[in-house]
Amino acid sequence: MATTEKTTATPRGLIALPHNAARALVAVGAVGTITSTFMSWTYTSEFPGDLTYYGSPAGLQVLALVAGVLTLLYALTCWNVRGLGWLNPAGAVAPVVLAAASAFAVSWFSAIAIAVDLKGLVALDPGAYIAAIGSLVALVAALALPQPGDTVKSYITKPDNIPAASRLPGWVERLVISAATALALVVFAYGIGVDQDASETFLGYLLLVVFGAWALLTAGLFDRISELNARHKGFATSMAFLAAALFPFVENDEHNANLGVNILVVATVALGLNIVVGLTGLLDLGYVAFLGVGAYAAALVSGSEFSRFSGVQFPFWAAMLTGMLASLVFGVLIGAPTLRLRGDYLAIVTLGFGEIFRITVNNLDGTSGPNITNGPNGISMIPDLQIFGFNFGTPHDIGPITLGRFANYFLLMLIITAIVVVVFNRAADSRIGRSWIAIREDETAATAMGINGFRVKLIAFALGASLAGLAGTVSAHVGYSVNPAPYQFAGSVPPNSAFLLAAVVLGGMGTVGGPILGATLLYLLPEKLGFLKEYQLFAFGIALVILMRFRPEGIIANRRRQLEFHETGQLDIPESGLPDTTVGVTKAGA
Amino acid sequence: MNTLPQQLANGLFLGSMYGLIAIGYTMVYGIVQLINFAHGEIFMTGGFGALTVYLYVLPNGTSMWLALPAMLIGGGLVSVLIAVGAERFAYRPLRGAPRLAPLITAIGLSLALQQAVFNWYPDAKTDRNFPQLDFGPLHIGSVSISSGSVFVIVAAPLCMAALALFVNLSRTGRAMQATAQDPDTAQLMGIDTNRIIVIAFAIGGFFAAVAAVAYGLRYGSVKYDMGFQMGLKAFTAAVLGGIGNIYGAMIGGLVLGLAETMATSYIDGIPGMQQLGGGGWASVWAFVLLILVLLFRPQGLVGERVADRA
Repeated sequence: MATTEKTTATPRGLIALPHNAARALVAVGAVGTITSTFMSWTYTSEFPGDLTYYGSPAGLQVLALVAGVLTLLYALTCWNVRGLGWLNPAGAVAPVVLAAASAFAVSWFSAIAIAVDLKGLVALDPGAYIAAIGSLVALVAALALPQPGDTVKSYITKPDNIPAASRLPGWVERLVISAATALALVVFAYGIGVDQDASETFLGYLLLVVFGAWALLTAGLFDRISELNARHKGFATSMAFLAAALFPFVENDEHNANLGVNILVVATVALGLNIVVGLTGLLDLGYVAFLGVGAYAAALVSGSEFSRFSGVQFPFWAAMLTGMLASLVFGVLIGAPTLRLRGDYLAIVTLGFGEIFRITVNNLDGTSGPNITNGPNGISMIPDLQIFGFNFGTPHDIGPITLGRFANYFLLMLIITAIVVVVFNRAADSRIGRSWIAIREDETAATAMGINGFRVKLIAFALGASLAGLAGTVSAHVGYSVNPAPYQFAGSVPPNSAFLLAAVVLGGMGTVGGPILGATLLYLLPEKLGFLKEYQLFAFGIALVILMRFRPEGIIANRRRQLEFHETGQLDIPESGLPDTTVGVTKAGA
Repeated sequence: MNTLPQQLANGLFLGSMYGLIAIGYTMVYGIVQLINFAHGEIFMTGGFGALTVYLYVLPNGTSMWLALPAMLIGGGLVSVLIAVGAERFAYRPLRGAPRLAPLITAIGLSLALQQAVFNWYPDAKTDRNFPQLDFGPLHIGSVSISSGSVFVIVAAPLCMAALALFVNLSRTGRAMQATAQDPDTAQLMGIDTNRIIVIAFAIGGFFAAVAAVAYGLRYGSVKYDMGFQMGLKAFTAAVLGGIGNIYGAMIGGLVLGLAETMATSYIDGIPGMQQLGGGGWASVWAFVLLILVLLFRPQGLVGERVADRA
């Protein structure tokens, strides 16, 4: 159908409407959606977020409001409104469609959720109807805009040529980076701040984030930002960390700060695993054991009265070093015999080691083994950290804001994450890092070029292990206690090895952002979507299979890996060339 | 009383079970160089398939002697279907992708299968009782052999012999050997390698189901997570014997089973290691053995050093 329409002189949309009318209707629909969020959507306050007020959007209404504003802005770019050009540099249709889709998804999801939760359409107030109709009009009208490409798919894909951005003065570019980082912080803090019981709101948030980010991606804004980031790498990185450090101030709630700490711990460990899996290509299936070794080592010397060495209380730096060293020793012990062999052996030996660690720690309770770790009960009552007289357990006031226990630990963990990021980046760019990548690509060729494969792999393995041990020392203190249960291969509670591996693979192997994003997503989703709890692992397994089938390079793709995974026999085909060739083939066949 | 003969017998039973599962790992690995991580779960589903046949297909109170063949067929069918389905829909599209991709797929598959049984099989959240053969333990000298163990000791050698005959004498078996040696050349010689790979998965699945029935008969119950430990041990056995070698898998299984049993029952007699015996440490000793073998004989007990085919 699409091909027959192509013969007409002017490109037309899926739906026959004059161009001007379509543009206008998108804007009208968007305005309708925006207006509706200031009205009541339902009459009872039972629905999460309480959507009953006139004049003040709440919960899902806020999300619909944001989606509506986004749609309106993109609708206005169709008229070349001055000052909005930067939003849609190519003047593309795809972002308009996707923005409208985000409004549509959020509004309709809300309406359906209200109707389902509160048993029936009677629960809907006029506001909800207006939102639903407005967003539907916007979406339909957006689809009536001239079709940008040959297939329907072109409505949702990034156009091939986006005009290059003109160079701005340096300070403006930095300002843009700061603004983008601040926006990311707000989006993230909103997501993490969604109430535990308001799964509906979180699902709406996910819909908005997915479609919204997609719209910005097709508009080419992500490319712009990463271009800017590459130009001001140091500045961008520090901004990102500054934004993360601001998180406990923005989201000043102990529960959420606790979530934040746990996410950071998992993200840091995933980043360490990324050195092993992503850079060196060694599959480590028992990585969580190194986290456990670090945590147990720190717990044993923490001065807890349940520790075997309860009289001993190391200062934090010493405990940290102990944890790292213990993990390092285990890493070398496991790595040395197996790294000489093929990769598959390493996978299985690490898996075995992970199990040995858990079983051994479980057994060292005095009855079925020597008493070292207190068995399944673990070591509890680990005292809070004290660095230079700063007690992490008590709240501290910074200006008008009180930082609670978890906020303190969040900041400490952030520093450790920063250290790991720096280590990762420096290592990846160093001589050793290049050897890792060479080994990952082709070990035989790499050794032929004079790389000592065994030594280099062992370094990667040991480095990864000690970074996990480092994260483990802090996590032992954050959680008050350590016990063997979480250090298993796969389980419903992170961290476990399968979870960490999935975080790396989902996010993108060999990148810094990938594991952090992956760990955040994997940690937050089950946390906020309570109804998934039972089927979480099942969904997780299926997701891994589907991911490997369709996007093995992860969300944030490492360029080299992406090419590797989608091998076409010709390594330097530009990414945008691929869809074109497939279209050409189908056309020729038809 | 001397417990050694009894422990040896126990080790042999356990080892035969490991060996049967290890066949699945080793055949698949030998042909496509893939660690089918989900094989442990294929073993587990075989057990539940057999249980389903007994509970829901056969009339109540069927004699176990009549039920057993039906259970074997039913369990085998479930395992084979899952194994072949996994190959067709999860692994085949990834052939030629970097090695990490199918391995992660396998991990995902393993989690999904385990959770599917956990969530949707009736009452599978705890141990499900497995029907038992109704004759008492046999006594040979000081050794007592339970009815379940009799099944293992009969079934494992039968399966092995059948497999050896099949691989060495039948046309398909030879095609299998050729494919393992060099898939491309095998294809040039007119062998349908896809068919061979499916057959390898199917045989592995069936053997896993036999092992699962044996497990159920011997331990009296099946559980949704039994595949993880057994699969891990069986893979260890396959590596121990020399991965890719079907005789190696059986020998590795026997050695692992014996070593594990011996370690749990006798290691606490060694001065200084009094507290390291007992069932809790079995897996630890199994992996220590694996690491030792990899250290000194990485090609496995009977394997030959294969050139790296990366």
